[in-house]
Amino acid sequence: MKWLNVKLIFQREVRDQLRDRRTMFTIFVLPLLLYPLMGMSMMQVAQFLREHPTKILVLGADQLPAEPQLIEENRFLSKYCLNQDDARLLELTLGDGEETGYSKGKQASFDQRMQAVIDRGEFDAVLVFPPGFGRRLADAAAGAGEVRPPQADAIRPRIFYNTTKDKSRMAHDRISYVLRAWREHMVAATLARNKLPALTTRPFQVEYRDVAPVASRRAAVWSKVLPFVVLIWALTGAFYPAIDLCAGEKERGTLETLLCSPAGRNEIVFGKLATVMVFSMATALLNLLVMSGTATFAVRQLEASAGQPLAIGSPPLSAIWWLVLALIPLSALFSALALGIATFARSAKEGQYYLMPLLMITLPLMMLPMLPGVELDLGTSLIPVSGVMLLLRALIEGEYARAAQFTLPAMGVTILCCHFAIRWAIDQFNNESVLFREGERWRLDLWMKNLISQREDTPTFAAAIMCGVLILMMRFFSSMMASTPGHWQGFVTSTLLVQIAFIATPALLMSIMLTRRPRRTLLLQMPHPAAIPAAIGLAVALHPAVVKMGEFISWLYPMSAETTRLLEPIGAMLNEAPLSVLLLAMALAPAICEELAFRGFILSGFRHMGHRRSAVLLSAVFFGVTHGILQQSISATAVGMVLGYLAVQTGSLLPCVLFHFTHNSLLLIAGRLPNSDLIYDKTTVVLGTLAAVSILLWVRSLPKHYTDEEKRQGVLEHPQPAPVIK
Amino acid sequence: MIHVRELTKSYTDMAQGRNVALAGISFDVMPGQIYGLLGPNGAGKTTALRILSTVLQPSGGAATVNGYNVVTQPAQVRRQLGFVSANTAVYDRMTGWEMVEYFGRLYGLEDDLLRNRMEVIFDRLQMNDIRDVLGAKMSTGMQQKVSIARAIVHDPPVLIFDEATSGLDVLVARALMGTVSELRDQGKCIVFSTHIMREAERLCDKIAIMHRGRFLAEGALEELLESRQENDLEELFFGLISQHDERWLAGAFETPAGRNE
Repeated sequence: MKWLNVKLIFQREVRDQLRDRRTMFTIFVLPLLLYPLMGMSMMQVAQFLREHPTKILVLGADQLPAEPQLIEENRFLSKYCLNQDDARLLELTLGDGEETGYSKGKQASFDQRMQAVIDRGEFDAVLVFPPGFGRRLADAAAGAGEVRPPQADAIRPRIFYNTTKDKSRMAHDRISYVLRAWREHMVAATLARNKLPALTTRPFQVEYRDVAPVASRRAAVWSKVLPFVVLIWALTGAFYPAIDLCAGEKERGTLETLLCSPAGRNEIVFGKLATVMVFSMATALLNLLVMSGTATFAVRQLEASAGQPLAIGSPPLSAIWWLVLALIPLSALFSALALGIATFARSAKEGQYYLMPLLMITLPLMMLPMLPGVELDLGTSLIPVSGVMLLLRALIEGEYARAAQFTLPAMGVTILCCHFAIRWAIDQFNNESVLFREGERWRLDLWMKNLISQREDTPTFAAAIMCGVLILMMRFFSSMMASTPGHWQGFVTSTLLVQIAFIATPALLMSIMLTRRPRRTLLLQMPHPAAIPAAIGLAVALHPAVVKMGEFISWLYPMSAETTRLLEPIGAMLNEAPLSVLLLAMALAPAICEELAFRGFILSGFRHMGHRRSAVLLSAVFFGVTHGILQQSISATAVGMVLGYLAVQTGSLLPCVLFHFTHNSLLLIAGRLPNSDLIYDKTTVVLGTLAAVSILLWVRSLPKHYTDEEKRQGVLEHPQPAPVIK
Repeated sequence: MIHVRELTKSYTDMAQGRNVALAGISFDVMPGQIYGLLGPNGAGKTTALRILSTVLQPSGGAATVNGYNVVTQPAQVRRQLGFVSANTAVYDRMTGWEMVEYFGRLYGLEDDLLRNRMEVIFDRLQMNDIRDVLGAKMSTGMQQKVSIARAIVHDPPVLIFDEATSGLDVLVARALMGTVSELRDQGKCIVFSTHIMREAERLCDKIAIMHRGRFLAEGALEELLESRQENDLEELFFGLISQHDERWLAGAFETPAGRNE
């Protein structure tokens, strides 16, 4: 790759974007206007809410005791209110002598009337004191003995409010505070009158000590909000330039001009990627800075008006520093994803439609760290995007030791994702069907007809995806509809049914209908003779490592109590079943059925991408996802990659079936052994892994079978160097 | 200079399934020669020229440009040629000068050499008045001049013009053909695709009539007219196309996919 060309393309694209008024507005002008405007409006709204009076209708006020007095001149006594503002803003209307709905038979109609009063907005809440309220209170205070149930009703005032209306909720809170304070005052007076210590009603007090440093406490809110805002803007900032640089150029016809130039596709992608990344980072940073500035200003204003520090402080400077650092790999990731998606779009308009799916994928990952209880640990640090966000949170909150512990996994996963995203974007640029996609009309009937009548030797990429999705959907719906069987016979039958009907059958039928050479598609050919014992040996050698990996995954992502509870009866059922039957249903059937589908049809289709490793990875992911439970899926994906590698290297399904059968059989047999946890010690795991590596090295030495696309990709990736013109 | 042998290209589209765009074409173009690809829309001209410019990969056959293979040596091939097409637009937000300079730098030209060549090209193509005009503000004729300047800035031995006159008014089209003719006189090897008979008649030393991915006839204009006993290229073209369509409808051709596409 010539970095000079990358630099030239980067410089041109940046200049081009800087000359685009729309980009400039979205990236530079919008944040400068947006946050100050938002800050001002929110302060206005807050002011409005704070200042807004709440209208309260008080019924039965004539029943109130003279002492202690609650209401004076249509106001609650200010000593019972939270502050002077509340006393002023609680506007009371006294409805003395009116019906209060405590009479038998009148309660329902009274409730309806109160609901109507609040719904019409005449009052925000209604406070109702029952008949004889003051007298009964006086009785109780005089120690008239225990309060009997009818009297208990009598001393229960009612607050009518509507939780769906903010002002009504606010009114409820204010009245509740006043009544609580009034009641406490009464209790204190009663205690004093009876010469009892105040401790009678409160034998002990609780003292709360927040051990979080003040800075961390004030940074806590920002540690959740800032990473989210920055990442959203990094994604948005990447998306729009990416659309203009790819789909926009396609539409304007300038992309082909560039493709004819000496710049290689990799150079074009890296030049464009760097541009998108710069704009993604610039957007995020500018938003971060302006938002932080606005927040600092707003917090200072609010603190000045409140006369005391607020619970939430200004965004700490360290937060901005950490965000800038974390932004580099995340912007690269988002930029590569956006570039790949934008290349796929035919026009800028079509490109806009792809923003939503991208957001749908990334938003849950951004929201996850904001959920209560989600903390930075090894498991969460390995989740793309979420891991970095949690890492950022720890850094902003000053938990440096914890952050240092998980920096490597969080950044490692991000860099890995970034690598795959960039490769995908380059692939899109090398894919002429993507670059020259035209707006052909798509008709299902024609497509289906052509799919069958003009089928190729092996399935297309789209057919492989279709098969994978079909299997996933059928498995999902079958698991939703079927109940857990009560006996092992039922479990074995349902397992066999799923394997044969929902996994093997779609793959077989699609091979026959959608390909010219089903045997080649399903790799139904004999491998190198030594590959047969090698596959069995590999499964045996890898087994200790796979078991340890399973344990590690369970430690990393512990199974929920609910899932464990659901799986327990199945485990008990399996222990009752004869081993031979289990081997048939859970080792032999999956070995044949799943291999036909995932290493046969699906992997053959994915190899049309031109990348063997990506095809193996993608088929393994589909294989993993069909296992349903997260912990099993991760493990199955890893095993699926070994199986895919075996299929690609040996060109036959037989080694995969044998590996799969041996692997599953060992798991089932190990489950039957007493103290099965103790089977493998570290030495066994290391020796087994070394043996597995040796076998895989031998498998690697087997002659390779490339598809046409893989050969073509090889030429694209390793072209001969060009001379320099002087 | 350009050697094409049994070049095929097929692709799959969502509506029609597998399409054969090129069904095995062969031709040679020498330095100082303009080779015309004449055919109706959808004949496969653009596909053939995109393969020559390494933008597309062939499904079969071979092609070399100035000795370099379009599949295995794409970077070298791109350095040997300049490509002007109705599909290769100019950048809206770059001036004429910036655009040509950008491509000159991509071709790896040294600063002084690039500046000198640009001055010469801008003078020759009378482009000095659009040096500082943004692409978006240029007329179609101006844009086409910039495209030509971009394509010849590195003085390539091979030039490809793919329906380069489409959308141009008569005056600009005539000027463009004059430029192409000049380039031929300088010894450039030129492929010129068009569906306009008069352009092919006036400009091309050799013409290939293309339809449905095949060459129906190939040779110098006089040879073609003489062999088919026609006086007019348009008549010859129409006759060949109609004849081919009749045979095609009758299922006379086997395509790489095994049947008429």
